Amino acid sequence: MTETGGRVARNRRIWSGSPPRLLGTMLLALAATALLLHAGDTAGDHVPSYVEWTPDTIANASSGDEFRGLLLSRHCAHCHGEEGFSAKGDTPNLAGMARLAIWKQLLDFRAGKRISFPMNPIAQSLSNKDVADLVAYYSKLPVFYDPDDKRAFPQPAPDPVQKGMAWRLINFGDGERGIPPCQACHGPLAFRPGAPALLTQNGPYLLQQLEDFATGKRANDINEPMRTIAQLLTDAERRALADYYGAGLGLNPGTGPEPRQ
Amino acid sequence: MNWRAVNWRKLRTFLITAFVLLLIPATRFYQIDEPILRLFHNPRRVDPFSLHVEGEFVENNLGTEQNSDGSVTVRMIGQQYLFIPHCILVPAGVPIHLRITSPDAVHSLAFLGTNYSVKVTPGIISLAEMQFSQPGEYKTACREFCGAGHYDMRSVMKVVPREQFPALHDGDRGTCGAQ
Ligand code: HEC
Ligand code: HEC
Ligand SMILES: [Cu+2]
Repeated sequence: MTETGGRVARNRRIWSGSPPRLLGTMLLALAATALLLHAGDTAGDHVPSYVEWTPDTIANASSGDEFRGLLLSRHCAHCHGEEGFSAKGDTPNLAGMARLAIWKQLLDFRAGKRISFPMNPIAQSLSNKDVADLVAYYSKLPVFYDPDDKRAFPQPAPDPVQKGMAWRLINFGDGERGIPPCQACHGPLAFRPGAPALLTQNGPYLLQQLEDFATGKRANDINEPMRTIAQLLTDAERRALADYYGAGLGLNPGTGPEPRQ
Repeated sequence: MNWRAVNWRKLRTFLITAFVLLLIPATRFYQIDEPILRLFHNPRRVDPFSLHVEGEFVENNLGTEQNSDGSVTVRMIGQQYLFIPHCILVPAGVPIHLRITSPDAVHSLAFLGTNYSVKVTPGIISLAEMQFSQPGEYKTACREFCGAGHYDMRSVMKVVPREQFPALHDGDRGTCGAQ
C-alpha cells in the first residue's frame, strides 16, 4: 500500500516536481534525432571502397605473419603462380605488388566493391588475419628484374612508335589534357598508398583493367583517379601502355626511346 | 477523471515516443535540420581519409548542384594529381559557390585568365564565391607544388549560356564528362 503510493508519488514528481529531468530526456531525444538525420543523409551514396588510408589501416595491413601467408598461398598458386607470376596473361602477377595494394584489393573483393567471378568468393572466405598474412607473404616475394626472363614477361616488346607513346605518358604524362605521369603514383618514382606496381604486371590484364576503369565497370578507386585517367586516354594509348608494361620495359629505365635525362 | 488511476510511467513513454517520431519530419519540414546538425559538428572541417565513404564529398555529390535561388554550388576534390570532377559545367552570369577540399596535400586551384584562385587544404572545406559573365572554356591549374605530377594537374571549367545549362533535378549533378 505504502509502496504503490510511493511509486505514484515518485512518477508524478517527474512531471510536476522536476522539469530539468524531463528537459534532459527531451534533449537526449533531440540528439538521437540529429544522429538519425545524419545517418539518413548518406544512405544512397556510391561508395567506391570502405578502405580509408588512416594510420590504423596501414598498421593493420602491415601486421601479417609471412609464414602463415605462405601456407595460405597454396590456395592461390594455381592461378597466381608458385612465385607470384601467373601463367595466364589475364590473371595478375602478385609478386612485386605493394602490401597496401594487395590489402585493399582483397578487402574490396570481399566487400563486393570490385567484381570478379573467381576472386569474390575466394576473398569472402578469408578472415582479416588471413588477408594480412597473405599480404605479408606476397609483398615480400622477389621480383625478376630481368626483362629477358620469360617466366615473368612472356610478351614481346611493342614497336618503337607505341613504345615512345607509352614512355612519354609514364614519365611526363600529358599536361594539355591533364593526365599525370603514371610513375608519379605507380612507381618507381613515387607510390601513392594503394596504387599497385605496374612494372611487373601482365599486359592483357592491365589492358582489361584500363578498359574497365574507362567504362566504369571497375569503380573501386578512391576519389576516382583511375576512372578519370583511363577515360582521358585514347584506345591506342591504353594498348601501348599495357604492352609496354607487359613486356617488362618499365623495369629498365634504359629502354626508353629517348636518351636518359 | 480519476488522476490516481493514470499510469504515469506509460504515459511518459508514450509522449516521448510520439515526440521523437514527430520530430524527424518536423525538423525537415521547418528546415531546421541543417542548423541542428551544425550544433554537432563544424561544417567546414572534414576527415580527409573518409571523403569517399561519407559526407559532402562522396562521388555522387561532386559537380554542379542547382540551388533554388538560381545560384549553383560546385563541389570538387583536389588530389595528387587531379581535380575531380575533371570537367565542370556551370551557367554564365549566376553566382557560383565553390566548395573544395583535399584528401592528401595542399593544392591551389587557379582559373587561368581570371583572378580566381583557391587554396585547397586537407581536412578543411575551402569556399569561394565566383561568377563568370562570359561563356567559354576556362582552364584550371594547380598553383601549389604538390609532388611528382604537379605540372600536369589541370582541369577544365566549361561556362555555358544560362539557357543551355541542363535542368538539374533533385540529386542531379552537372559535369561535362562523358555521360
Ligand atoms: C581461380 C583462379 C584464382 C585463384 C584461386 C585466386 N585468384 Fe586472385 N585473381 C584471379 C583473377 C582472374 C584476378 C583478376 C580479377 C579481375 O580481372 O578483376 C585476380 C585478382 C587478384 C588480386 C588483385 C590484383 C591486382 O593487381 O589488382 C589479388 C590481390 C588476388 N587476386 C589475390 C589472390 C589471393 C591472395 C588468392 C588466394 C587466397 C587468390 N587471389 C586466388 C584469379 C584467382
Ligand atoms: C593519381 C595517381 C595515379 C596516376 C597518375 C595513375 N594511377 Fe593507376 N592507379 C592509381 C590507384 C590509386 C590505383 C588503385 C585503384 C584501386 O584502389 O583499386 C590504380 C590502379 C591502376 C591499375 C589497376 C592495377 C591493378 O593491378 O589492379 C592500372 C592498370 C593503372 N592504374 C594504370 C595506370 C596507368 C597506365 C597510368 C598512367 C597513364 C596510371 N595508372 C596513372 C593511381 C594512379
Ligand atoms: Cu596540386
